[in-house]
This record gives sequence, C-alpha cells and structure tokens, in this order.
Amino acid sequence: MGLLAEESLHGYEVKNRFEAMLGGTWEVNIGQIYTTLQRLERDGLVRPVGARGDRGKQSYELSPEGHKALKEWLAQPDSGPQQLHEDIYVKLLLATRLANGDLQGMLARQKRAYLQRLRDLNRLEEQARRDGRIDLARLVRGALLHTEADLKWMDELSSERFGTEGAKTE
Amino acid sequence: MRAIFVKTLADLRRRRLQAAVIFVTTLLAVATGTMALTLIAQTRDPYQLAFEAQKGAHLQVGFDNRIDPSTLVGTPALIGASAHAGPYRATDMQFQSGGHKYAVTTIARDNPGGDVGQLRITGGHWPSSGTEVALTRSFAELNHISIGDRLKVVSVPQEPVLTVVAEVVDIDELRADVGGVQHAWVLGTAIAPLTAKDASFYLMDYRFASDPTSAQLQARMNTLRASVPPDSVTSSINYLFVRTVFHVSTEILTGVLVAFSVFALAATAAIVANLVTGIVISAYREIGIMKAVGFTPLQVIGVFVFQILVPAAAACILGIPAGTILSQPLLASNSQALGLAYQPTFSPALDVLALAGALLIVAIAAVIPAFRAGRLKPAVVIANAAAPRGNSGRWLRRLASRARLPRPIVLGLGEAAARPVRATLTLLAIVLGVATVVVALGEARSFNKIYTYEGHIGKVDVVVAKSPALADSDATQLINSQPETTRLVAETTATITVPGIADPVTTLGFRGDSAALGYLLSPGRWFNGPGEVVANRGFVQDAHLNLGDTFTGTVHGQALKLRIVGEVFDFTAGPGGHVLMLDWSTITAAVPNLTPSSYMVTLKPGSNVDAYVRRLAAAQPDLLDVQANSTGNTAFLTVIAGVLFGIAGVVALIAVAGVFNTLLLSTRERVRDTATLKTLGMSPRQVIGMVATSAGFLALLGGLVAVPGGVALYRVLFDQLSSLGGNITPLAFYDVFAPWELIAIPLAGIVVAVLAAIVPGRWAARTNVVEVLHAE
Amino acid sequence: MDGRTLVGAFRDGGGKNGMSELVRLTDVTKVYQGGITGALNGVSVTVEKGEFTAIMGPSGSGKSTMLNLIAGVDRPSSGTVSVGGTLLGKLGEAGLARFRRDHIGFVFQFFYLLPNLTVLENVLIPAQLKGNVAPARARELLDQLGIAEVANRYPARLSGGQQQRVAIARALINKPTLLLADEPTGALDTRSGDQVMELLGGVHREGQTILLVTHDAKLATRHAARVISVVDGKIVDDARLDSLERAPSEVIRVRGEEASR
Repeated sequence: MGLLAEESLHGYEVKNRFEAMLGGTWEVNIGQIYTTLQRLERDGLVRPVGARGDRGKQSYELSPEGHKALKEWLAQPDSGPQQLHEDIYVKLLLATRLANGDLQGMLARQKRAYLQRLRDLNRLEEQARRDGRIDLARLVRGALLHTEADLKWMDELSSERFGTEGAKTE
Repeated sequence: MRAIFVKTLADLRRRRLQAAVIFVTTLLAVATGTMALTLIAQTRDPYQLAFEAQKGAHLQVGFDNRIDPSTLVGTPALIGASAHAGPYRATDMQFQSGGHKYAVTTIARDNPGGDVGQLRITGGHWPSSGTEVALTRSFAELNHISIGDRLKVVSVPQEPVLTVVAEVVDIDELRADVGGVQHAWVLGTAIAPLTAKDASFYLMDYRFASDPTSAQLQARMNTLRASVPPDSVTSSINYLFVRTVFHVSTEILTGVLVAFSVFALAATAAIVANLVTGIVISAYREIGIMKAVGFTPLQVIGVFVFQILVPAAAACILGIPAGTILSQPLLASNSQALGLAYQPTFSPALDVLALAGALLIVAIAAVIPAFRAGRLKPAVVIANAAAPRGNSGRWLRRLASRARLPRPIVLGLGEAAARPVRATLTLLAIVLGVATVVVALGEARSFNKIYTYEGHIGKVDVVVAKSPALADSDATQLINSQPETTRLVAETTATITVPGIADPVTTLGFRGDSAALGYLLSPGRWFNGPGEVVANRGFVQDAHLNLGDTFTGTVHGQALKLRIVGEVFDFTAGPGGHVLMLDWSTITAAVPNLTPSSYMVTLKPGSNVDAYVRRLAAAQPDLLDVQANSTGNTAFLTVIAGVLFGIAGVVALIAVAGVFNTLLLSTRERVRDTATLKTLGMSPRQVIGMVATSAGFLALLGGLVAVPGGVALYRVLFDQLSSLGGNITPLAFYDVFAPWELIAIPLAGIVVAVLAAIVPGRWAARTNVVEVLHAE
Repeated sequence: MDGRTLVGAFRDGGGKNGMSELVRLTDVTKVYQGGITGALNGVSVTVEKGEFTAIMGPSGSGKSTMLNLIAGVDRPSSGTVSVGGTLLGKLGEAGLARFRRDHIGFVFQFFYLLPNLTVLENVLIPAQLKGNVAPARARELLDQLGIAEVANRYPARLSGGQQQRVAIARALINKPTLLLADEPTGALDTRSGDQVMELLGGVHREGQTILLVTHDAKLATRHAARVISVVDGKIVDDARLDSLERAPSEVIRVRGEEASR
C-alpha cells in the first residue's frame, strides 16, 4: 500500500519493488501479492487504474480511503506482543530437563554462531552503507542489536547456576 | 562546620607529605621571624635602662693637668648640667698580665656611687687599699683577667703591683671588644705612684636634666672650652656616641635579620600559595564531588584553608618559642656587656604578633586559590578533572625542540613553564634562596675584609707596643737590628683641635713608609710629606672641607697648617667619628718630643714570625709588648657570620622545600601524562630526566636573577653598615666574589634543585601505569 | 618453553606469508591486591602476526590486564609473556620502555594525549623518545587519518573522535609490531566510534597486527577474525570467524503479517 502511494503499480512490480526495498531479506510469493491486492480492492482501499495490460496485468492505485488507512497504520506504534521464535530457548528448556545435557557446550556453540552472525551482519551493514542503502543498513543495524542482545543472553545464561535454578524454570 | 573538620582531617591524613612541607617551611620562617622581632623589640631598651639606672653621664670631658682642678667645680653650672662628678684625677697606665701588656686610663675614685656615672659592681668589692684596682667587666672578660689577678704596672719606673678586686660596668664607656682604651679605678690616694711624669689629667662627668641632642652637646662643649684656658680640654666623649657604638653590633644583626626574615617569610608565602594552588588543582574532581554532596563554596574554601592552617599553626606553636629561645643568646651577650643581669625575655604580646602575622600570611596565601576552588562549577570540575591545558611554555618547547634537545628535556622545560603562576612562585623561592646565600657570603666576607684592612693584615706582620719608659731610638734600633725586619712604621696618637669640630680629633702620625700600610683612599692620595693630611669622610663633611683645602689645626697650643690630600676609609673612628692621619714630620714641627706608641713591622717573606716575636720580647721583656699581627677579637664577626649563614641556610632550605614541593605537585598532577609517556616507551631514566630538567631549568632561571640581585642587595646592605663612619665604601671592599663563585652559586642551586627532583622524579618513574590509566 | 619463543620474529616478511607467532602467553596468572579488578588465572594464548584479534569480556574480566601484560606495562604474577620472541620477564624497566617504544603502539579509551603538547608534538613523542625526528611521517599519518588540518592545535580543542585519531597516529608513528587498542571507542559517540573502527580496519588491511580489547561484541566482530572471550580471568572461548561473503537473505529474514498489507 505504501508503495502504491507513490505511483500506480501492477502486482509484479509491487513484488519487485518490495523485495528490493528489503535488500533481499524478505522473499514474497507473487500469489500472496495478488490475494492481498484483491482483498484491498474489496475493502475499497485500492482501485484499478486503466485497462488490463498485456498478459492481463492490472495496475492499482490508492483510493482516498486507502490513503487514510495507510496514514493511520503508519501513525500507530507497534505495540503487539514481542515476537520471539528462539529455537535455542526450546533447546534450553529441554537441556535443563535432561540430567546431563551439555548446557555450557550448547551455549558456547550458540554464542559462536551469534558471533559469526554479528560479523556477517557487520559486513552486510558495511556493504549496505557502501551501496548507499541507508534503509537496508538500518535494518541490518536492528539485526545487529538483536544479535548482540542474544549474545548477552547467552552470556547470562552461561553464568547462571543451572543446577538449582533449572528445576524452577517450569 | 563539622563536615569541614572531618574532611580536613581526612585530607591531612592522606596528604602527609604536603602537610610536612608546609610544616617545615612555616617552622623555619616563623622561627627566623620571631627571632628578628624579639631582637628588634629588645635591643634598644637595655642600654637606656642601664643608662638611667646608673645615672650615666651625658658628657665626659678630659682636662689638661695644667688646669687648676678647683676651677672645674664651676663648669657644671656654666653649661647647665644638673649633676656632675669629678674632677677625677686620671692617668694613662700600662700594665702587664699573663705575658701581655695593656693600656688603660686609670681614674682616682673613692666610691663607685655618686650622682653621675655610677659604676655597677658585678664582681668583687670596691678597692679599699692603694694596691687594689677595679677593671671594667668587658675588659676583664675580653683579656681573661679575673678578680685576684696581679697586674704589674710598667708605665712607671717603680713598677708597682696592683690586685684586681672588682669588675664593674661603666655605662659611659664603649665595650672593650668594640674598641677604645678602657677605664680602671683606684683609690684617690693611690693614683700618684701610678702616674708617670706629666701624664696626669682630670676627668669631669656631666649629666643634664634631659637627654641633650647632638647640637646641644656641641654648644655646651663650646661654652666649656671658652671658659677654660686654650687647649685645656683634651678629650670628650658623649652618651650619643657610646650608645650608637653599642647599638652598631646589634643593629647590624637586627638589620640583617629583619631583611632575611622578610626573605624567609616571602619565600614561605610563595611556597604556601604554590602548595594550595597545587592542592586545589589536584583536587578539582574532589571539589566537584564535595559540591555535589552539598558543600557550599564557603565550606570548600574552609576545607582548603584549614588544610593549610593546621600544619602552619603547628609550626607556629613550635617555631615561635624556638625563635624566642634562639634570640636569647644574642640578647644575653648584649645585656652582659652592660652588666645587666641576663633576663630571658618572653613577651607574650610579641609572640602573639608573630603568630598572627604568620597565620595571616599563610591564610592569605591559602584563601586566594581556595576561593577559586570554591567557585568552580561542580559539573565542569567532575568532567574536567585534568592537568593544565593551554599553551604556556609553548615557545620554550619550540625553542628547545629547535635546539634538538632530547625529548624528555624538552618536555621537562615545557612542564616548568606550563603553570606560569606556580613557576613564578617557585622562581621567587629560588631567587630568595640563592640571593640570601650571595648576600650572606658577601657580608661576611666584606666584614672580614674590613677587619683585615683595619688590622693591616698581610701588610704588617708584627706589632710592637712601646712603654713610654723606653726611648724611641733604642726601640727602633732593636727592631731594625733584627735580620728579618724589612719595614718599620712607627705610629703615635695625638689629638688636634680643628675649627668647626667640637672634639679634638684623634690623629695618627706615621713615621716610615706609611703608604705601604695599605690605607684605601677614595678620592685622593696618601700624604706625601709635611703639611699633608688624609682624613675620614666624617671629618671632611663636618669640617666642611674639600680635597685640597687647607685648614689650621692646633696641637699643644701650636698652630699647624694642614692640607687635605685624600679621604681615607677608616672604620675605627666609629659612627660620626673623626680621624686624621699625617706624617711624623708634620706633627713633630709642633710637638718636638713626640714619641711613638707602637711600631708596625713587616718581615721578609718566609720569616718565622713566632721566633721573631719571642726574640724581640726577650730583648725587652718589660718595656715592649710584641705581638704577631692578627685580626684580634673577631667574636663579633663570628656571630654575624654565624647568623648570616644560619639564615641563609634556612632560606635556602625553604627554597629547596619550595622546589621539592612544586615538583611533587606537578608530578602528581601529571601522573596520567607520565603514565602515558611510560606506555609510549619513556624509560625510567628519561622520566627522572624530565622531572629534573624542569627543576634545573627553574633553578637556572632563578640563579640568573638571584645572583645580580643578591650582589646588588649585598652592596646596599654593606653600604649601610660601612657608611656608619661616614665613609664612602672603597670599591675594593665590594670585590669579594670571585667570578667563578658567581657562576658556581647558581650552578650549585641547579645541582640542589636537580637533587631535590630525584625523589619526585623517582616517584614519577615508578608510576604504576596500570593503576593510573585504568583507574577511570 | 617452546623453542620458537627465542627466535626473533620481528624480521619483516614473517607476517606476510600467513601465520607466524607474535605473542605468546604461557600459563599467565596475575593477582591484584586492593581494589584493582581484572585478575588473570592461568591464561595461555598465542597471537599470530597480521591478525586482527579481539579480546572480549565484561568489565573486570581481565581483558585489559592481558593487554597490559603484552605491552609490558605490567608484569604477570606467574607465567611468561613473550612478544616477537622476546621474553618480557627478562627485561628491566628501561628494557621494557625500549621494548614498548620500539614494538608497541597503544591506543586508550580516554586517548591520553598530553594536554600541553600540540597534536603534531603528541604524535612525535614516541619517535623522539627513540631519538628520531620524524615530522614527515607524522604529517603523513595525520593526513591518512584525516586530521592534518589540526596538527598545530591542542588536544583540548579537538573532538573525541579527532583526539582518538591523534592517539592512533601516535601509536603508529614508530611502525609498531603490535597495535594494542583498549576500548578505543568507549569514550566516543557512535559515529566517531565507527570512524575510529574503520581506521583500525584500514590499518589492519595494510598488514598491521592489532589486538583490540572491548566489551562490545558488535565492535569485536567488526574487523576481527578472531574473538577471544575472557570471563573471570579465564579464556572461555577463542572463536575464529570466517569471512565468507553472504547474501543478505542468508543472514536476515524479515517476517511479518501486519506489514504484508
């Protein structure tokens, strides 16, 4: 919708623009784009522009309601629940239940993976900045900080006394 | 208030070295200051006290023996004296004791009391028989003669023997060690056998209702002189002269002491100011924290001032009594000379004054930087707790860099100049220290030089005093017959009356090559023959004469036409005194039967002086007193030199403490820079070199200022003293510093400063980089 | 003691063709009395020439102590430290000073520039302590680090980032064998910190061996291919990271439902 606010686009163009914007970090299915566009058209937020072009491509633009809805969405802070999907947490829970789970080893390995990720992100950020992709660099920066937090989490976990506290974690 | 005390005490515990530096410098300065104050306050009093107590004579006049003593009885009323004593019959007498001969003026006096010029008996009893004699205490002490000693009188052929039965204090006489012929007293009936033919005269003591001025004394002398036959008045001495001479020694001491105490106090103030500034700067961060926890600016000032005042007050508590006690021996020696009982003088008022003065100076030195500390803004201070910034000393570093000096030296130089105020204060301490040493050295040497000069040391080897009983020709022949004798100058003393000069002028007549005695003339030349005289400056001024002027003097009623050809530098006449020197031929024209009183003999180089003295004395054991020439009694000089060097030492010490303190402060302040430099690879030796350079540089600069300054100050001080006799100091007396010394003194200062730098330098070199750089 | 430690490794070229040992800590323990934290407990580690190594750990972990021991500004309680074949324990104070000025460049968190010297003078000091005059090299370095225009200013008038760049120039003036950096960005804002890290990266690309101490994992992984983690005076991890180019999608995935609108 945000992209349609700039100019009218057809479905495939939306997909390409969107992926470029996110620097290849989010690959979207073209079908998903079309369903979304149709849903928006049904809600009266977008409307088709001009005639269906060759190979049946239809361009869309934002309706006045659409503009309003976009504005509201942008203005609304992201206040939903924190979204975590940490495999490591599940592993941690399981490892504490198992009597001789190699917790420290697990954490160390995970730490090392995070370090590697940090280094990769660092290079990515560097690359993005070199390419003038500030928007992408911002995203990478966010990831960097998340990873740093993960790393700190690992550090804290490895300095905790699992033997006694692990049982209470349920 | 409580918070201030708690913080102050904590800081003092933490900064013990700093407190110690304050303590030591204040102690030294306060002790010196108290000593000076005590001397200034006390020295004027004892003479006056004694003078009143003993009803001292304002005027003592000697009359020729041709006068009828009964005519003198009318003189007191004539000149308005309220009381008088005498006429006493008197004679010049020579006696022998312990192998030496002494000359005294013996006075016939039946009791020591009376309305004027009472004698205070300090030992023994007044003579009660014709063979007993009383001597002045200062004379007895000086010559180690004690009560019970027997004196053989050699000035009369019968050679009677007198026993010393009393030591007295005569307030109307100069101290024996200062000079002059001392008095001795016998009963009235005992004087005749002691008097050589025609050698008697009369003495009168006059006392006035109030202390007369110099002019009044002069006028009264003129009246007196006019009332008696011409030339009847042979001598006169007034209380002003005696008092001045008495004060000269103590005045020199106190003058020097005061000057030096001011030095010491200034140096201390400089150091204390420096210290406090340093403390404030090194405590910048702390000040911020203090303020953040709620100290008001005034309380911050309070903490810093108290930090300084506590050790300073402790120093005063010790230093003031110490100074008072140290001044006692000097006071005692003066009191004793007057025969006053030595009374330790503890004046609480004076001590309070010293205490208040010292604390005030210290407090002022502390308040100024502390005030700055009090006004600092906490946030700025906490964030900015750092060493000095800015570019003072940049030019110096540039210069040094350009000269391709090693980096530690360049850094050291920059450091020395990095804090202009501190550098100035340290410099002040160094300048004062070095200058004091220069002054002390100069004064002591010049005094010695004057004594050497007066004694013709190096020009005359043996002094022979002749008894009137021995003929001049015999004595001369005896001396000249000795193979070692190369030069013989005979000397006699006479008095010449000169228009415009109240008292008869002491005149030295020389026979022989008197020019070789080494008298200094400025301006003019030594006399060359009959009719030419040289005079001291006091005479030339008081007689209103110029070089080349002719005047008429009268001796024994004979008129002499005299021409002044030179101004002689002479100290013996005392302040305001008059002296003439002329050739034998000039005076024999008027006094044909003149006989020398002494001979000054110069021996061939390499002669055995002792053997010569023994041989000559053996040839005429009774009628000649033969002595190797020496400066004589230099106790006074020793005291002055001791005091000078003592104070110079103290001030120099204070200066060293100042340098030490400055280095300590700056190395502490720059501990982080030093740690950084060490990390960058500065070796311990380079660190010490850097600290030593900054000390050495300051010392060098201080020396460059102090040496000319010290020499100039020495000259001013010495002029003050040497001109007491109305003299213009001949340039030769200033010539007491060898050029190498004037270089060596500041060099020694640099060495001392560099040595003082070793402790803080090593401290800096041992800086624990890890502690310093990671204590953030 | 391994025979290699006695071989002088300072000769040029040793580092270019890969892995020659430069620093070796053998069973190093450091005990502190009093308030100083950062004790080490039996640390053994080697660092190769040409490496950019990060030592990472929380404050008080002993990471700075390691740096200080390697720089020779502190001595271990037990164990040995050798740098380039020189056993630091055998050097006296003066020897250590000479060692530092010849082989070590040190960059601190708080810059520690000498406040009463100009930028140029600050940079020149290590050279001058050696007895060298190297104004040309100093100016070149200042130029490379982008601070040529402040050469004659005093440190107090520079920004933190500029000051740290001066400190780096000072550390590099003697072409040190080893550049030690202790939290070099700790007192800087993010932007200046990034620039300083960039400069260190650049220096490393030119062949400089760098040992970086930091508590910040982002910084540690920025240029260092090796991250040594220190906790409570012990090395708990020694990770060598690879530097393969990765596509963004291999590293980050963005996911969201709302956003799909």
